[in-house]
Amino acid sequence: MVALLAVVVLGGLVWLLRRQSGSDVPGRADEAPPQLPDRPFGGRQISEAQLPAGQIVVSGLTKQYNSVRAVDNLSFVVEPGRVTGFLGPNGAGKTTTLRMLLDLVTPTAGRATIGGVRYADLDQPIRCVGGILEASAAHQGRTGRNHLRIICRSAGIPLARADEVLQLVGLTAAGNRKVKGYSLGMLQRLGVAAALIGDPQVLILDEPANGLDPEGIRWMRDLLKAMAARGRTILVSSHLLSEVELLADDLIIIAAGQLVAQGSVASVLQSMAHGSRILVRTPDVAKLMAALDGDAVATPAGNGDVYISGADAVAIGDAAQRAGIAIHQLITERPDLEGVFLELTRGRAAIR
Amino acid sequence: MTLLDSPALAQARGTGTTPVRLIRAEIMKVRSTNTWWLFLLGIVVFTALALWSNGVSHHYELYPQLNTMSGAGKAQALAGAARARTHAGLAKIASNMMTSGQFVGVLFAMVIGILVITNEFAHRTAAVTFLITPHRAVVVMAKLAAAACFGALFWLASTIINLGVTPIYLHSQHASVSLTSWIVIRSVSLNLVAFVIWAVCGLGLGAVIRSQIGSVLAGLAIYLVGFAAVELIFHLIYNVYRHAWVLGAPVIAPAVASLVMITPGRAFAHAPPQWAGLVVLAGYALVFAVIGTAVTCRRDVA
Repeated sequence: MVALLAVVVLGGLVWLLRRQSGSDVPGRADEAPPQLPDRPFGGRQISEAQLPAGQIVVSGLTKQYNSVRAVDNLSFVVEPGRVTGFLGPNGAGKTTTLRMLLDLVTPTAGRATIGGVRYADLDQPIRCVGGILEASAAHQGRTGRNHLRIICRSAGIPLARADEVLQLVGLTAAGNRKVKGYSLGMLQRLGVAAALIGDPQVLILDEPANGLDPEGIRWMRDLLKAMAARGRTILVSSHLLSEVELLADDLIIIAAGQLVAQGSVASVLQSMAHGSRILVRTPDVAKLMAALDGDAVATPAGNGDVYISGADAVAIGDAAQRAGIAIHQLITERPDLEGVFLELTRGRAAIR
Repeated sequence: MTLLDSPALAQARGTGTTPVRLIRAEIMKVRSTNTWWLFLLGIVVFTALALWSNGVSHHYELYPQLNTMSGAGKAQALAGAARARTHAGLAKIASNMMTSGQFVGVLFAMVIGILVITNEFAHRTAAVTFLITPHRAVVVMAKLAAAACFGALFWLASTIINLGVTPIYLHSQHASVSLTSWIVIRSVSLNLVAFVIWAVCGLGLGAVIRSQIGSVLAGLAIYLVGFAAVELIFHLIYNVYRHAWVLGAPVIAPAVASLVMITPGRAFAHAPPQWAGLVVLAGYALVFAVIGTAVTCRRDVA
């Protein structure tokens, strides 16, 4: 009788397992042509075929934690084939947004889709989307190689893929070492390796440059740019503005959970009140202004210098030559990302 | 960049059904760290210690040291020895020897169950795991199965040692009893059930209390301290409300249910039969598994 009961309990467990697996992977057996890397989603069943594969669409996303609205009615689009920088002050809701995108955090309201499909509804999600959320996300007592092999095993990918991605991120030599001996930079590389296991169309990275040395930062930048050039979607959050300026094609800036700016890097920079301006040092400002067209505006810059906007350096130089005015200094100042970022998020970066 | 040519990915056929490969992955997770063999070592040590202490106490039960005893004690010891020498008594000794170290061994099964899930949060790998399989219920099921497997492995290690020592011991004590008698087999297999169930309960506990230390302490409290506390409470109730069933009621506590289940005959005076312990314990396993799954599915992974 006892044995019978044990069989019933174990049988029930097996039945539950089978039922669970049956419901989430319909028609697994007949699908799975080997994925060609340049064919986004490997031709898998994406019902909204007309949607650009790998396009991330966030609409009305909201997350309320007790009294704090971490993400507030956030909407944006991330296009494939480009690197999109996701910026915001500390606590702006970047990480929460990325986690909602990956179905790790349940949104209070709104929807986030990747290629038109919610993350949870993707078949074999890591073959479509690679996510790196935390550099230290590996068991300290496990080797890096085993960490990757476990991911392969869970995803039904041959274990040999672990060695391929180890080589790809330059960790082959450290593969059989335990993770507790890794530097932060090595952990970041391990995270990238894990995200690349499924050769995904979409990469979502949270602060990937943290802890990387200059060589590592350049490596990461080259990798992400190369992937974007192959048509992949790259969404990368960061607070290293200079790095993002070098890396990103598009920008999404949020503050206090709300969208502040979105667009190509150039359009975001130009959206600011002042575009580029020229710092001029000359003995005769009035004469120079008279020689320029009516559009040019001069504002004092201290030390007798002036900022001239509405004319470029060539026009100013030519005008000065025509009028016979000496120019001691002519510097074009473009708004940099840091200035724009600080101005856009001013007053909204307080700890909430 | 070798992104474009991956021989391994070209071979990927999404092999195997999700549950099977997830269970294999969960077993691989445990196997790729030190914990499991350290625990196995612990089981071996506890089994050896328990064999020694059980062996000594059963020896004095069968062959009391009469010359050191007073008259009344002598009579009692002789009666005890006579009882131990009956067929039922010898079978009881045999089953006790065959399950040596397993009362404590069950704790290892429970803790491995706790670790299987809390490790994901302690080492922040839960996000990676759920990115691969967003259907968290399936992940928890795979973890339950893996924890049960390691529970069974621990039982196997302990049972193999007992199986090696017990026949030699019984022979040396001139106790002729067959290890294939139903009482012995029932005890041994009920211990397997206990190991599996406690591994499952541990996992459920770990899912609810994500802190590793917190859930291990809670588990130890339920298994060890809970025992005495429940006994005490029901004795106090019995003092007010004198019905015999009150003394059997502690079986509703998981630790008592476990003891009732694995003890041949009655675990204590007025204890309910073994099957009652099994039913209660299986109920706990089910409740722990369901709550653990529900909690894991609902909570955000921060």
